[in-house]
Amino acid sequence: MPADQPSVADTVRSLVTQRLNLNGYSQDLRPDDNLWSLGMTSLTCLGLMLSIEDTFEIELPEEALKESTFRSINTISAAVESSRK
Amino acid sequence: MSNPTMRSSDLVFAAGAKRPTKADVVIIGNGALGMFLADELVERQVGSVVVVGPSHRDTGASQAAGAMLGCFGETTTESLRTNAARTRFELGISAHDKWPETLRRLDEFAPSDRPLQTTTESHIILNSVGAELDTVNFAAIIDALDQYDKPWKEIDPTDIPGYNPRPESRALRAIHLPTEGAVDARGVLASLERRLRHGGAILLDQTVRRLVGSDEEVTAVELDDGHLIEAGTVVVAAGIHSESLVRTVFDVPDLMPTFPGLGFAMIAKRTGGEPFTSVVRTPNRGFACGLHVVPQGGGLEYYGATNRLVHTISSVTWMADVRFLAQYSMQQLDERAATHEVTKWCSGNRPVTLDGFPLVGWMPLSGLYLMTGTYRDGFHCAPLLAEHVANELQGKSGIIDSIFQPIRKPVATRTVESSIDEYVTHSLAAWFETGAQAAPQMTTSQLTDYYRNMAVQTYEQLGVDYALGPDILWYAQGNLHGARRVARYLRTFKGDGDVDQPTGATTGTGGTR
Ligand SMILES: Cc1cc2nc3c(=O)[nH]c(=O)nc-3n(C[C@H](O)[C@H](O)[C@H](O)COP(=O)(O)OP(=O)(O)OC[C@H]3O[C@@H](n4cnc5c(N)ncnc54)[C@H](O)[C@@H]3O)c2cc1C
Repeated sequence: MPADQPSVADTVRSLVTQRLNLNGYSQDLRPDDNLWSLGMTSLTCLGLMLSIEDTFEIELPEEALKESTFRSINTISAAVESSRK
Repeated sequence: MSNPTMRSSDLVFAAGAKRPTKADVVIIGNGALGMFLADELVERQVGSVVVVGPSHRDTGASQAAGAMLGCFGETTTESLRTNAARTRFELGISAHDKWPETLRRLDEFAPSDRPLQTTTESHIILNSVGAELDTVNFAAIIDALDQYDKPWKEIDPTDIPGYNPRPESRALRAIHLPTEGAVDARGVLASLERRLRHGGAILLDQTVRRLVGSDEEVTAVELDDGHLIEAGTVVVAAGIHSESLVRTVFDVPDLMPTFPGLGFAMIAKRTGGEPFTSVVRTPNRGFACGLHVVPQGGGLEYYGATNRLVHTISSVTWMADVRFLAQYSMQQLDERAATHEVTKWCSGNRPVTLDGFPLVGWMPLSGLYLMTGTYRDGFHCAPLLAEHVANELQGKSGIIDSIFQPIRKPVATRTVESSIDEYVTHSLAAWFETGAQAAPQMTTSQLTDYYRNMAVQTYEQLGVDYALGPDILWYAQGNLHGARRVARYLRTFKGDGDVDQPTGATTGTGGTR
């Protein structure tokens, strides 16, 4: 990957910030923070899932479509990485 | 679009085996749609017919159906609001007219001396359990009966034979529909089997694993054990399994998704009290088909039914649904049902399309025909659809509107705003109907706000502008799989103008107005 391309985790962070309206919080958002505790709901998770798939042009496997996949930037990034393989 | 007519080649049997290797028409699916089509084809003597489907019919809708022959009893405020919905509604009216002849054909093949038609009349009750939706749908039923000049009469609910609710759930209004009855679904399917065998059709107690062909045509089906049957025409009538079967040969991105509408009902033996002699039902209710009892003959009664759009096809029964049906049957229909003996648990999947309209017609691949998506009245419509499809297979003109063509954009019947309103109404109805309790200080308008907010947010998150029916919206909002299927499919039309607007068709199949 060329050096100037954002990493998967960076792109996930920016999607999470945008979809969950965490702009004011974004500096402090750690890769392991529990997004559900930060106010993600089943509905905002739904929008996040669709935008993750659109942005990375992937289709997450059926078994990844569950709450725990969307727990944090780390878990989402891991799911994206494994779908891209 | 292909439109082959049937060849009349003879049946060719594999050496020594009973199973054919070739047939003019192979029908995949032994539910009401597949069986009635086979019967019509055999009646017309147009070639060899093979029906493939497991005799247990597990997960199928037809074996679980209440088989009310209801069109007016099913009316909702949506039924006549648009041309497209009216066309769909009139399919039911035309289907109704086919049943007397259909039953005459089947009678001598009935598996027992219980009549196939278990009643010829219905009573619709209006109680206060189901919230405002019941009231408006009850009014819509009367309005439709009047528009189509059908007989009905307002009666005292206490005069309905067998009707014996708990006093707090008693109906304050009821109407009698003297021409809308029900059949014994399981008896009809058994009679069809016997009649088909008698007429020379072949019924294979197996499943089809995949369709065989190329991008352009379908030439055969492969059974679960690898056996191949070459076919002049393959008709996919496998209910909720139809979509995945079509996709074994042809991955059409714009084939409309169908969702399993898992439903539960039970058949019980009456142990005392006055029996029901008619269908007794509420109007259609929140996301579902209302509470009803259907006499089955032989002292048996069918109590139904639930409806839940789910992600995975199965024949499981939710404990909540058992409670729901048992409790509300005792409360709203007959309190003596408490001691009835359940003889059969019925569970099946209604084939529910994204736009709620059936999918019936030739596919872009030559030799492939699809008939499914009948949702909650497919049993009733099956003889009519059989006539239509048999015509099309023979190269004659069909008898139902072209709006139901399987490769189409979703039919639009509402705006997003009205979809949200409808979702709210259904959610409130389901809230009250299921006996949900809110804190005393929480008012109905606060509940309304909550549901409205959910619906608005669901549209925002899905990013679609096609207005969904309340059941599909509920499904998409409730799980990530559902949301993804709905959003992905609808996005294939983005930038492609609009989805299909209701056509100018004002008549259905029979011009009954
Ligand atoms: C609880 C309940 C109550 C209902 N009540 C009514 C009612 O009162 N009135 C009414 O008109 N409608 C009612 N319906 C709806 C009605 O049952 C359906 O619309 C209709 O029966 C659908 O028929 P079908 O033949 O398309 O599908 P199904 O009945 O589902 O038949 C499909 C068949 O295909 C078979 N199959 C599946 N996969 C394969 C394969 N790979 N190869 C071969 N075979 C396969 C299945 O075993 C099944 O038997 C009800 C439905 C339910 C679930």
